[in-house]
Amino acid sequence: MNTIAETRTKSLLYLENVSVAFDGFKAINSLSFVVEPGELRAIIGPNGAGKTTMMDIITGKTRPDSGTVLFEDSIDLTKKDEADIAQLGIGRKFQKPTVFESHTVWDNLELALNRDRGVFGTLFYRLTAEDKTRIEEILETVRLTHRKDEYAANLSHGQKQWLEIGMLLAQEPKLLLVDEPVAGMTDAETVETAILLKEIAKTRSVVVVEHDMGFIRDLGVKVTCLAEGSVLAEGSIDFVSSDPKVIENYLGR
Amino acid sequence: MLIRLFSLIFLILSFAAPSFAQSDPKPLINHLAKADFAEAEALLGQIAATGDTRVVPALQAFSDGDLYFRKSDNLVFIGKAAGAGFDLIDPVTGASAGQAAKNAVTKIKINNNLRRVIRSAMGGLTLMSPDRGVRLSAADAVLRSPSAENLDLVEAALAKETDREVKARMEEARAVSVLSSDRSVDEKRGAIQTIKALGGRNALGILGSVSGSIDASLKPDLDAAISAIQSEQQLWDMGQNVWYGLSLGSVLLLAAIGLAITFGVMGIINMAHGEMVMLGAYSTFVVQQLIRDHAPGLFDWSLAIALPVAFLVTGAVGFVIERGIIRFLYGRPLETLLATWGVSLILQQTIRSIFGPTNQEVGNPSWMSGSFPIGGMTITWNRMWIIVFSLTIFFALLFVMKRTAYGLNMRAVTQNRRMASSMGIKTPWVDALTFALGSGIAGIAGAALSQIDNVSPNLGQSYIIDSFMVVVFGGVGNLWGTLIAALSLGVLNKFLEPVTGAVLGKILVLVLIILFIQKRPRGLFALKGRAVEA
Amino acid sequence: MITSFIHRALEGKIVVAVATLLGIAVLVPALNLLTPPDSAFHIPTYVMALFGKYLCYALLALALDLVWGYCGILSLGHGAFFALGGYAMGMYLMRQIGPRGVYGNPILPDFMVFLNYKELPWFWHGFDWFVFAMVMVLLVPGLLAFIFGWFAFRSRVNGVYLSIITQAMTYALLLAFFRNDMGFGGNNGLTDFKDILGFSVQADGTRAVLFAISAIMLSLCLIVASAITRSKFGKVLVGVRDAESRVRFLGFRVENIKLFTFVVSAMFAGIAGALFVPQVGIINPGEFAPANSIEVVVWTAVGGRGTLIGPIIGAILVNAGKSFFTGAFPEFWLFALGGLFIAVTLFLPKGIVGTIQHGFRTRRAYKAAAEAEKGRDAPVAIAQAAE
Repeated sequence: MNTIAETRTKSLLYLENVSVAFDGFKAINSLSFVVEPGELRAIIGPNGAGKTTMMDIITGKTRPDSGTVLFEDSIDLTKKDEADIAQLGIGRKFQKPTVFESHTVWDNLELALNRDRGVFGTLFYRLTAEDKTRIEEILETVRLTHRKDEYAANLSHGQKQWLEIGMLLAQEPKLLLVDEPVAGMTDAETVETAILLKEIAKTRSVVVVEHDMGFIRDLGVKVTCLAEGSVLAEGSIDFVSSDPKVIENYLGR
Repeated sequence: MLIRLFSLIFLILSFAAPSFAQSDPKPLINHLAKADFAEAEALLGQIAATGDTRVVPALQAFSDGDLYFRKSDNLVFIGKAAGAGFDLIDPVTGASAGQAAKNAVTKIKINNNLRRVIRSAMGGLTLMSPDRGVRLSAADAVLRSPSAENLDLVEAALAKETDREVKARMEEARAVSVLSSDRSVDEKRGAIQTIKALGGRNALGILGSVSGSIDASLKPDLDAAISAIQSEQQLWDMGQNVWYGLSLGSVLLLAAIGLAITFGVMGIINMAHGEMVMLGAYSTFVVQQLIRDHAPGLFDWSLAIALPVAFLVTGAVGFVIERGIIRFLYGRPLETLLATWGVSLILQQTIRSIFGPTNQEVGNPSWMSGSFPIGGMTITWNRMWIIVFSLTIFFALLFVMKRTAYGLNMRAVTQNRRMASSMGIKTPWVDALTFALGSGIAGIAGAALSQIDNVSPNLGQSYIIDSFMVVVFGGVGNLWGTLIAALSLGVLNKFLEPVTGAVLGKILVLVLIILFIQKRPRGLFALKGRAVEA
Repeated sequence: MITSFIHRALEGKIVVAVATLLGIAVLVPALNLLTPPDSAFHIPTYVMALFGKYLCYALLALALDLVWGYCGILSLGHGAFFALGGYAMGMYLMRQIGPRGVYGNPILPDFMVFLNYKELPWFWHGFDWFVFAMVMVLLVPGLLAFIFGWFAFRSRVNGVYLSIITQAMTYALLLAFFRNDMGFGGNNGLTDFKDILGFSVQADGTRAVLFAISAIMLSLCLIVASAITRSKFGKVLVGVRDAESRVRFLGFRVENIKLFTFVVSAMFAGIAGALFVPQVGIINPGEFAPANSIEVVVWTAVGGRGTLIGPIIGAILVNAGKSFFTGAFPEFWLFALGGLFIAVTLFLPKGIVGTIQHGFRTRRAYKAAAEAEKGRDAPVAIAQAAE
């Protein structure tokens, strides 16, 4: 009991016994999962393991049928909607890069900045020097400074992925959920993204869902393997990839 | 009381008159002018033997001492005192035969013996007529206007009656008469039970009319009977409402069912759907015109011929629309909405240019006209057939979708276009055929709706919003949902109507659906899960 | 704050458009009133009235564009807001008739006398006061939009579903206003107006002023719309249109953003309806017909949704075409309109103004791309260095 209470007090994100079913199909089955502050965590698992559904639950898109989802030990995320949760400091990158294609790179970042998001706050918003510096910083981080006035639609696939990561940074989240960030990237871009994520994880927690085992090895962090809606194994990449259940369910095929 | 009897007799007459023409009773009646009591008795026997019920008023008049003969020609008339003289009425036809001065006519003498003979003759003529129909209508007439004076007669007829239906009717007639007679309380109690079993508004009226005058000890029985009939009546009213509702629901189903495919399954917002219905109705009109001109004998088959024609015509139009416009707009639902709205305007104007803006007359085949009663409800044949028809189309469609190879291909394409295409399914072909199928079904619906609605270029406009409401309410992509939505919206509408009026009822239903969509944006029977959310 | 908000609105083409509209607001009435009828420059009153009507339609199209072009909400019920604004104005005009009606009742409009009303229904009180009526012109459509949007956006009714229920909304209102016992004149609506603020609605002078006010209101609304769309809020709005869930996960309350825009748009439509009624002299339930609302969509689509000037141009062009066709070839108008719907969606999805803008943008993008070419390999170079 003590240990559980202890992990809870330390955790940034805490899921316990979470279940959700769609028309009888258990997408998530009593899943328990903890992320600590400043942690970079990788999640692997076969298709249909519930990775994306888990993110949906954390970000308020899907309500779990049962279970506890806590942020910073006290905030019950199951009672909040997407906007609330984003404002609490959880950012999410989608599987398919989702940026505002008819805005410039700069505008995309300006929209994402963690400022007053109300109707009147945005109506009368003026770009301050401070915000300008911040956007320029992020542009540097995601290597898009030279394309800042370009419409996002004209970016390459990899650049869109980075722009989206940049938007998440502008949001200044405490926890970042990243869904398949390197899908469709060239090898060089993949390596680059691993570096970027490690850099980001220095100041906040990051959870990465990926299929690319090479990429996860590059990250060199604790790995959680999901299957059929619950945790199959957890530990270092070598430990997890030698687990016979993981090999049978995921790697072996 | 007398006038009542008279009117009763005329009622009987109006039912029975056409069925008689044995031998002319008129000469027999005229013989009454010079007959003594014994001869008159014999004559009455002969008159009764003609079986001609037209003589009943004359007999009644004789009994009442209103039968006269004209001195000038010894012809017999029913006489009614009018001023200084008499109005003369022909004893058989009941037609007016002019007037006569008081001294120009003589009353034919009557005694109690003759009165008895007359009464039994009259009973024989009506309640005891050899014709079953006459007896039935005589019993009905007594039922409608009961009187104590008929009681003996009814009972006499009852004793002889063998036909089950007529006998039951006479039992009821007796019961009704008992209530207004001075019979014993027990007999009346039995009568109340019989009337209660009879049911209906008429029984309610009879019981209500005697409730003031009836013996106090019978009051509880009477009240119980009245409330029993009332609640039964309410049940029938409810049944009738449900029927009207189902009927409206089946119209909604007909209108929506094509849309359930084009919108529900394919996801195409087809604003020209209503015009497909309209084209179907006009196809029926054209087919009927051709049949009227060239083969009038086939008219009863016109609908059966029109259905496949409507299906093919609208299906072909749908095919062209899909290939020509919609296929360029997949994945852009709002643009599809606009383009198909444009199509609908063009189709409307085309029809208006060809046929003119006015309503076209589409005839009902004979098997779709008329109505029949079930208990306290009236069912019209055309509504009945529309319900049968809409359900037939529904189940046929369900069969095509779920049980045929084509249906499988179609579902495969709508669920995962790329996968289906790589499995070798010709997706463009399936798309076009599916849209044509949905349009063709709308056309069939139009053929059916032409039977109950005005066929004009605006026909489609009146169905389009309702159709979308039904499909959305039922849950997009779910045929069963469409069925249940259509029928329940129809019934809801018909139950609101008596309370709120037709227009307000419709508004309320619209508002309810709008609110419902807020609660369950994907309809009654929505698919759940991640795939749908994406 | 407000000044920068407005200042931002007046950039580039909007200044030109506003100046043009204000020029028209002065010039057309002047040419109508000050030139003799036989002059080559004279604008007959009926032409001015016709164009006054087009300006109202242009404002309605602008209102629709704000929600559809910028926020992705295709409302098929904007005609309802237009009609409600029109009815509010119509009620004021009815009360101005006073005892000059056919029945001469000083309080009750003719149709109420005819329908045996004993007293004015409660919702008619206050409409004899111009300011009150003008507040209602904004408030009633705004309130309906607020209530409707509050429910719809909160429960995330989206896309086609939203379009269908907006259509159901205007259809329900159509049925309701047809009813005599609603107290809005039923079938016949409100008509036979006499004065507005003491001036005869028939007089040339009044018509000229109404025309000028229409042009001025259109430019005011254009400035407001421009200010909204050029603010950060406007960028969020486009974000909602293109990637709603991204906006949500960035922490914005999408339902509030949509609701605000929907209400502002409904108010624009209400203003348009209020200006429309005294110029055409009647308002009846036909304005609620779903077909009318869909026609507004095609004006906007033709001109170019997602641009501010597009819908104005579209509304004027399509309606001028309608006037021409219904005069010259009435049979063909529906063919032309139907064809327009199809042609625009298939061949000109961005509309006239949108297509021109897109042309400019692509040219700019080419230039930018050419310039960016030099620094293009930077990220890959870094990646290689890391290896």
